[in-house]
Amino acid sequence: MKRVRSTAVVIATVALVLAGCGGSGGTSDPKTFEFWSFANINQKADVDVYTKAHPDVRVKVTEVGSTTETAQALTAALAGGKVPDLVLIQADDLPKFMQSPDNFVDLTTLGAGDIKGNYLDWVMAQSTTKDGKIIGVPTDVGGLAVAYRTDLFKAAGLPTDRDEVAKLWPTWDKFIDVGRKYVEQTGKPFVDNTPTSVFFQAVNQGSQRYYSADRELDYDNEQVKAAFDVTLKAFGAGISAKQGSFSSGWTAAMKKGDYAVVCSPSWMLSQMKTNAPETNGKWDIATIPGGSGNWGGSFLAIPKRAKNAKAAWNYISEMQSPKGQLDHFLMQGSLPTTPSVYTDPQLVGKTDPFFSNAPIGKIYTQSVVGIKPFYFGPQDGPVGTEFLNTLTSVEQGKVDPANAWNTALANVKNAVRE
Amino acid sequence: MLTPATAAPDVRRPDRRRRIRQGVRESLAPYAYISPFFVLFLIFGLFPLLFTFYISLFDWDPIGEHRFVGLDNFSELLHDPRFWGALRNTFSIWVLSTVPQLLLALGLAHLLNHARLRLAALFRMSVLVPYVTSVAATTIVFAQMFDRDYGMINWFLGLLGFDHIDFTASLWGSHLMIATMIAWRWTGYNTLLYLAALQAVPRELYEAAAADGANGWKQFLHISIPSLRPIIAFTVVTSTIGGLQVFTEPLLANPVGGLTCGAARQCQTVTLYLYEQSFGQFHFGYGAAVGVALFVIVVAFSGLNYLLATRIRSERP
Repeated sequence: MKRVRSTAVVIATVALVLAGCGGSGGTSDPKTFEFWSFANINQKADVDVYTKAHPDVRVKVTEVGSTTETAQALTAALAGGKVPDLVLIQADDLPKFMQSPDNFVDLTTLGAGDIKGNYLDWVMAQSTTKDGKIIGVPTDVGGLAVAYRTDLFKAAGLPTDRDEVAKLWPTWDKFIDVGRKYVEQTGKPFVDNTPTSVFFQAVNQGSQRYYSADRELDYDNEQVKAAFDVTLKAFGAGISAKQGSFSSGWTAAMKKGDYAVVCSPSWMLSQMKTNAPETNGKWDIATIPGGSGNWGGSFLAIPKRAKNAKAAWNYISEMQSPKGQLDHFLMQGSLPTTPSVYTDPQLVGKTDPFFSNAPIGKIYTQSVVGIKPFYFGPQDGPVGTEFLNTLTSVEQGKVDPANAWNTALANVKNAVRE
Repeated sequence: MLTPATAAPDVRRPDRRRRIRQGVRESLAPYAYISPFFVLFLIFGLFPLLFTFYISLFDWDPIGEHRFVGLDNFSELLHDPRFWGALRNTFSIWVLSTVPQLLLALGLAHLLNHARLRLAALFRMSVLVPYVTSVAATTIVFAQMFDRDYGMINWFLGLLGFDHIDFTASLWGSHLMIATMIAWRWTGYNTLLYLAALQAVPRELYEAAAADGANGWKQFLHISIPSLRPIIAFTVVTSTIGGLQVFTEPLLANPVGGLTCGAARQCQTVTLYLYEQSFGQFHFGYGAAVGVALFVIVVAFSGLNYLLATRIRSERP
């Protein structure tokens, strides 16, 4: 008896462990597919719409976690686990996956070539390899605009109408001038911080960022330098509240009106409503200096080892059609990537009472049509982090603005791996 | 007449065999009993460890190329200011958290062990509350308390007429903040360990000391501390190993700058740097090299601690 039991324990343990390691099992029913999304983006609502239209299809949605956690789970799955049939990838995480496109189904084999013209060219370029393989279909973009406090602008003697405000700052230099005026009048800081609200936006407005057009790493260039310098200038003008984006101080200052403007992508609007509900109706939205810009966005991709790539593709092609994206915008507020719907009366007419009934659909879509495509490379993450961190160090008084550029270059050089 | 001669061994042999088999069985049984641990350890402990050594020799993209680079990752590590900075931060946070934490735990344990303490069970239980609170929740609350403009600590400093301190942005401020979080979480745990050891000390010792006119402080110094020597050695070892692997607090303490814990990496610990390299930037080979370096450091410190601990233990009070 004794022997039997101890052997059984060993066998059971080994079996348990092995079961944990191997086994991908699962169904290969062509009407069922598995979809990994991130949380807080409500892809489930889209899936509900889809399954209502196709009652015979079953979609198993898993909200893995944050965008980063979803990318990490996908990495682990691709490296040797059970992969989903469909996965949502955030734009910042995409370049890492674009390095190894063989992990994904080339969507042109399923018909992506026919629909790629529906999407913004600069977005499509991010998920297209050098040799023309399409890895992902864009689901949304962030767009960019400036959210400003009308009550605080009024108190500072500035115009409050969104068109007039936009006219105040066609460029970042003019934006800094407005900030100076605001600080003179009120004695309070103007913008939440300069690294995120100025550099992070300005650096995305050029025709080149950290890579050259032929996809070589080239971060020490004039456009990056110009964005960096204008940020230092904004800091030097004393208009920054020095509240790091998303920190606890940033949230508290937003509630208290301790800064008057935030450069805000469309997805940040809902965060502002949650963070500072008491400021309801006091905000408005104006065009960003430079006119255009983007922060964020996501793509749907199909892993190569997916059991049911066809069902996943059917879902993509139906739900990410221009009409599908328009419906999603009207329902959830994330910005379509399909310019054909940008003039749709429903989109143009969409307003938000929290932001003084600003036509958010119109303002944000205008910010993404003028964008020039540039290449997103695998080192964009570390390079961007170092530039942003150096500018934050300047705000915190740890780096002298005069040495900031050289410090940033040294930090980037150290962070980049050949 | 051959029958009995051949029959006899026939009867005996299975018996002997059975006995041998049973002997083998009995000598193997203990191994079978402890095997679940070792099987699990092999799979989740030893294998990942060896595999980490293996991939530290590669330029390893988890979903792409695996290129053998020999010891390049390590030579790069030696010249990487971010790694040395992380090491400095780790040690600084470790000292700042462990020393006050263990001293405080000693004092608390002595107080809680007092014979005439009322509601002893309540007090003894309540020191463990921080330990059962979620690290993430603790971290978020502490980060708010240490906030530059709206935090409670700076509000208080402001009332006293001092300038606000930007804790998260400065080197020492951020270390102090994280050390406070760690001490808050672990002081109660260590207090209970000390308390358990103190309860084994005969009451008569304290009574005799009191009769001889020794006050509380003298009793603490000359009875409590010497009796606690072995357990102090134990807590120092565990706090060292834990302290060198601090991760969650620096990850959540400073949301600005993502995985770097601040713009100047001022509170990025070695494990957080490992995480940034591996899971933030997909440099698994380099991340593994950081892990190997940390492993060597932890082993070295554990060895040092062991030597100290055996010396302390062998000294009789």
